[in-house]
Amino acid sequence: MYRGYLIDKALIGTDVHLKAGCVSCHRGDHRAATREEAHKGLVSRPSDNIETCAPCHKQISANYAKSLHYTTIGQRNGVIKRMSPEEVKQFDAKAFEQSCRSCHASCGGCHVKAPPVGGIGIGLIKGHKFVKRDEGKTCAFCHGGRVYTEYTGEYGGRADVHYQKGKMCVDCHSKEEMHGDGNLYLSKNDVKTRPACKNCHELGKESKLTARLSHRNHRGKVSCYGCHSAGEYRNCSDCHVETHSQAKPGFALGLSRDGKTLTTLRLIPTIRDTFKAVGIKMEQYDALPNYWDTPAHNIRKRTARTRSCDACHVEGKGFLQKEKLIKDGSKANEKLIVKPKPLSR
Amino acid sequence: MRKLRLPLVLFVILLLLPAAALAKVGAPLVSTDWLQKNLENPRLVVLDVRKVEEYKAGHIPNAVNAFYGAWAVKRGELLNELPAIDELFDTIGGAGIDADSLVVVVGKTTTVPDQFDMTRVAWTLKYAGVANVAVLDGGQNKWVKDGKAVSTDAVRAKAKAYRGKINRGLFVNKDYVLKSLGKAVILDVRAPDFYEGKQKLPFVQKAGRIKGAVNLPVGQLFTPEGLYKDQAALAALATTAVGADKSREIIAYCDTGKTCTAWAFILTDMLGYENVKIYDGSAMEWLKDPDAPAEP
Repeated sequence: MYRGYLIDKALIGTDVHLKAGCVSCHRGDHRAATREEAHKGLVSRPSDNIETCAPCHKQISANYAKSLHYTTIGQRNGVIKRMSPEEVKQFDAKAFEQSCRSCHASCGGCHVKAPPVGGIGIGLIKGHKFVKRDEGKTCAFCHGGRVYTEYTGEYGGRADVHYQKGKMCVDCHSKEEMHGDGNLYLSKNDVKTRPACKNCHELGKESKLTARLSHRNHRGKVSCYGCHSAGEYRNCSDCHVETHSQAKPGFALGLSRDGKTLTTLRLIPTIRDTFKAVGIKMEQYDALPNYWDTPAHNIRKRTARTRSCDACHVEGKGFLQKEKLIKDGSKANEKLIVKPKPLSR
Repeated sequence: MRKLRLPLVLFVILLLLPAAALAKVGAPLVSTDWLQKNLENPRLVVLDVRKVEEYKAGHIPNAVNAFYGAWAVKRGELLNELPAIDELFDTIGGAGIDADSLVVVVGKTTTVPDQFDMTRVAWTLKYAGVANVAVLDGGQNKWVKDGKAVSTDAVRAKAKAYRGKINRGLFVNKDYVLKSLGKAVILDVRAPDFYEGKQKLPFVQKAGRIKGAVNLPVGQLFTPEGLYKDQAALAALATTAVGADKSREIIAYCDTGKTCTAWAFILTDMLGYENVKIYDGSAMEWLKDPDAPAEP
């Protein structure tokens, strides 16, 4: 028997959340004699309404209501810049709530029951225990298409060195980042509590001279990912409202959104007719490129580019090239192409 | 002075006894009882190769974690390839292992392919110059089933700079296998349907086997309970398939270079075959090459 949905009876008397009884969160009628009557008014995902948790977790709930995990506003803002004001209204009415917003994370989605993805879930994380963290059963599901499998190496590359050393998501992505810090951010790029490599790896303190020199020479010119991403990561493309997207491995180096740094870029799935089925042409499609900065979660100390200067400066391995851009892509793509600088030997 | 010498010698012998008893783990397989009794040995490294989240949920006390993906990587299209030497040495040293360590590799045995993570890592350690390596028979699953203690405290290994002597002969490439056809025993450890060309895995180009290979499936290694069979039973199986000449060269392969390490490990470390090698590219590489002799 699959036990993913069975509640651990021992928790009922011990876990503070379960002491008040199931009805305190799930409603229904626990005095009813029949299943049908007992389930009247049942709320299967109580924490979809933040007010369920707010009475006890006031500050976290207030912050969470504004967080990107809850609002998923980052997804909206990532695409509406391609649309006219009229199209944005259409998008909000016909696509955002039904598609992007439908997968927002509730409190329970991380602390009680693993979030279902594509309608499939593994059920309770630990017999309905309210767990602080269990990234392999929570983060891994929503971020499992790209980030998580890349991080563990299961996508087919090398595992991220941080995973190899036992670091899980929350070891870098703080509680404040997960719950929100009370500010309403429009994109993950604006979040002040995002992790940064330099929080742990102080430049100038490397034990090897070659590493110190290399970091000094590339500082401000190449992102950490640019050199330390181990290789191919998942790139999704060809997304349509009705049929979703295709995925294949790829690796690209190009210009960051800051306009000056070389970094890893990931093909994003939005194409010209992604929202055709809901009548949105994306009149300003070319306002954004199809390749976006990506913090590739496959970091290694040694990569082809750290082993040899020639990998970039002579061979230009992995650099985005005009002839390799996706067909009928955004006109903004060409602006991302960077020509590797020759070495002065 | 002479009076002092005997007690001193005895004292030194006593001091060295635990190390001597464990100078070699002995068999390539250790039982959960053996491991429990030897957990406190300072030279023993229990190496848990499961995923980080599985390790953190409960592991053998004192076990360090360096999960499977650090030991076998994808290179080009080929799965389960050796990492670069410097990366491999970093992984070994990071786990607190040195060339004299006594290493017991622990993995899970939930599915059939899981079972072979342990032997692939053990074989890789031998390749890197760690001589005393064993695998836990039945893995973490057996440990838990036996009701033995588990810990959720992640162990931070005392990292060392590992510098071992590479045993290059333990892994061979396609060219080597080509030159060895008709001379060495080519051992296909896949299930009979795969050996006979009736079935293939999706990532293998075509069905079939290396020309002239003999078959000794990995399924025959285990009892119905999923533990390794005893030495006599395994020796009988091995003799039938590859012969009794312990000095003859044997090149084992499978689909990706992982499962074949189980027979290679048993042949070498339990049964005393002296010249066993792994063809790392295995069927994935061989059967993709139209010029590589294959049958049927």
